[in-house]
Amino acid sequence: MSLPTDFGPDSGGRVKGLVIVKPIVYGNVARYFGKKREEDGHTHQWTVYVKPYANEDMSAYIKKVHFKLHESYANPNRIVTKPPYELTETGWGEFEIVIKIYFHDPNERPVTLYHILKLFQTPVTEGAPPIVGRALVSESYEEVVFQEPTQLMQHLLNSVKPITNGPWNHDTDFEEKKEKTLEKIIAAQSKVRNEISELKEKLHLAKETIAKFKEEIAKIQNNTASNVLAGV
Amino acid sequence: MADILDILDIEHPGATEISRDSIIHGDKIKKKYVTAKAVKRPEGMHREVFALLYNDSNKDLPPLLPTDTGKAYKQTKAKLGMRKARKWVWAPFSNPARKDNAVFYHWKRASDETKEYPFAQFNKQVSIPSYTESEYNQYLKSEDWSQAETDHLMDMCQRFDLRFIVIHDRWDRAAFRDRSIEDLKERYYGICASLSKVKTNPWSNTVTTVNGEKRIYHYDAEHERKRKEQLRRLFDRTQEQIDEEQMLLTELKKIEARKRERERKTQDLQKLISRADSGNVPTVNPVPNNTEGTHTPSNATTNIARRHDRKLHKKKLSTQQRPVRTMEAVTVEWSGIKFPEARSTGVWLRSQRMKLPPGVGQRKTKAIEQELRQMNIDIAPTPTEAICKHFNELRSDLALALDLKNALVACEFDLQALRHQYEALNPGKTLTIPASICNATDGETKPMGEIIDVVGSPSALNSTI
Repeated sequence: MSLPTDFGPDSGGRVKGLVIVKPIVYGNVARYFGKKREEDGHTHQWTVYVKPYANEDMSAYIKKVHFKLHESYANPNRIVTKPPYELTETGWGEFEIVIKIYFHDPNERPVTLYHILKLFQTPVTEGAPPIVGRALVSESYEEVVFQEPTQLMQHLLNSVKPITNGPWNHDTDFEEKKEKTLEKIIAAQSKVRNEISELKEKLHLAKETIAKFKEEIAKIQNNTASNVLAGV
Repeated sequence: MADILDILDIEHPGATEISRDSIIHGDKIKKKYVTAKAVKRPEGMHREVFALLYNDSNKDLPPLLPTDTGKAYKQTKAKLGMRKARKWVWAPFSNPARKDNAVFYHWKRASDETKEYPFAQFNKQVSIPSYTESEYNQYLKSEDWSQAETDHLMDMCQRFDLRFIVIHDRWDRAAFRDRSIEDLKERYYGICASLSKVKTNPWSNTVTTVNGEKRIYHYDAEHERKRKEQLRRLFDRTQEQIDEEQMLLTELKKIEARKRERERKTQDLQKLISRADSGNVPTVNPVPNNTEGTHTPSNATTNIARRHDRKLHKKKLSTQQRPVRTMEAVTVEWSGIKFPEARSTGVWLRSQRMKLPPGVGQRKTKAIEQELRQMNIDIAPTPTEAICKHFNELRSDLALALDLKNALVACEFDLQALRHQYEALNPGKTLTIPASICNATDGETKPMGEIIDVVGSPSALNSTI
């Protein structure tokens, strides 16, 4: 990867008003050995990864990806500089992996993702042994937003090439998930808004009633006061 | 305390005493003294530990105070008087207050030989008014008092120097009716007042002249009787009564505290409403609408216009449903949660936009998450721009709804309190709380973290009238 030099050392300032969004998918797959390994007690092989949501080669703008594993691993800080940005290990437990993505332009700060490594199916059905061979997938969708990127970064982001000529698929159907989630949220929103206007009505009524009650009480108090005076 | 003093570089003994000297140059003097005396802290010992060790012994030192009195006590030789000593003699004296001419002896200065016994001046005599029979018949006749009894009273007053307690004790109960002290006083001062009107005798203790005008001491017997009765009752209370009174007082305090709490809540509500009223700037969802790759100004304006539209629609709705005079008060617009504005430049993750700002409290966050779960919505949904925006709006709305619910509960409580007040003032009658308000406390919509005090309002449930 040769950097274009015409942007200069400070990468030519930022592009006003421009926003570029790069959706990504990150997570892990895990496979059960079928038994506990004798020598180290490991039970699973897993692969943690960061990949583009669209079919494009992220190495155009990503310099490296840093995976920080649990400290019980030898050299827990693993750095991947070329796609695929993934890391395969074996283990017996779940933990949080810190994924830090660095960009080619040092003026853009790295972004950090957190992923809980998943090995076991939830809920764990007792008695049923873990399925051997079939991989378990736990992945999340995320969008990296480049707000007013530097000119260098803009150039890099726009010069991505497809990563494969074949179809580019994900285990999880994020399009469907997005659609359903949005639908649900919007439905909930209108429901809550109705509720809010109802509440406002009620609140208003309550305020009025309070004022009315206070008036009544004041009336009575005045009456009794004048009665007392009359009695005297 | 020692630590603070150390930090501020203030020395302990007498550091707070202020006098002229200390203001002028006391600071220097004191510091010199302390540093000379102070024990040095050993290398490696923590300051706190050292302070524990040496602070206590320092306390025992007498404070060193600069004085303003000059050299009074520092002179080596006492200044003794140069005059001659005066002579004392053992001399007889008689007390003019005594009628029996008894003579006693005491020491006195030879120069005072001729002076009268000095304590004679304390032999004060009360002047009691006197009256003739005709005067009595003319001015002092009373249905309640015979002349003999009045004479007896005046005589006793003279004898016991108006000590009414003694007079009451020595009252001739064989000859006359038993009288209370107040009766005796009333009669006596009544006589004084009547006589001073008609005579000009100088009974100095009952009649005083102020600005040339006669002032008569008026004895308010009724007031005195009431006062004593009150004291007697206060004294005669039983332990149970005292306990009950204490209990009632603490109850009153509790009630007042609760009332204050409610008033505070009402004010909060008022703030909420006024804030929402004044908020014609859309405060909610400051989710950046310029995050689309191709952002144009027109896009933003349509966005705002749309939002504005919606708001107008909302207002229209509420005005349709309620008569016109409600216009001014409750048009609660969005308050909810304010999400932070997007950073100007740089790389960020979409999901960061969905973090609740730190201003939202733990309790509210929990409540919102609970509501989301009830609606079967992921508390960390897939972060696309649209979802982010709507999700934030939804949570803001939920926060507002929670606020409103709490406010409504407070209102309802107020209403019940007012109704009780009304019922107490006007027994047999009551006020009707509109049924729709009470729905707020239904189980399902029960507000989070709000405990409703229903103990004080048992009749809340049977509002039938």
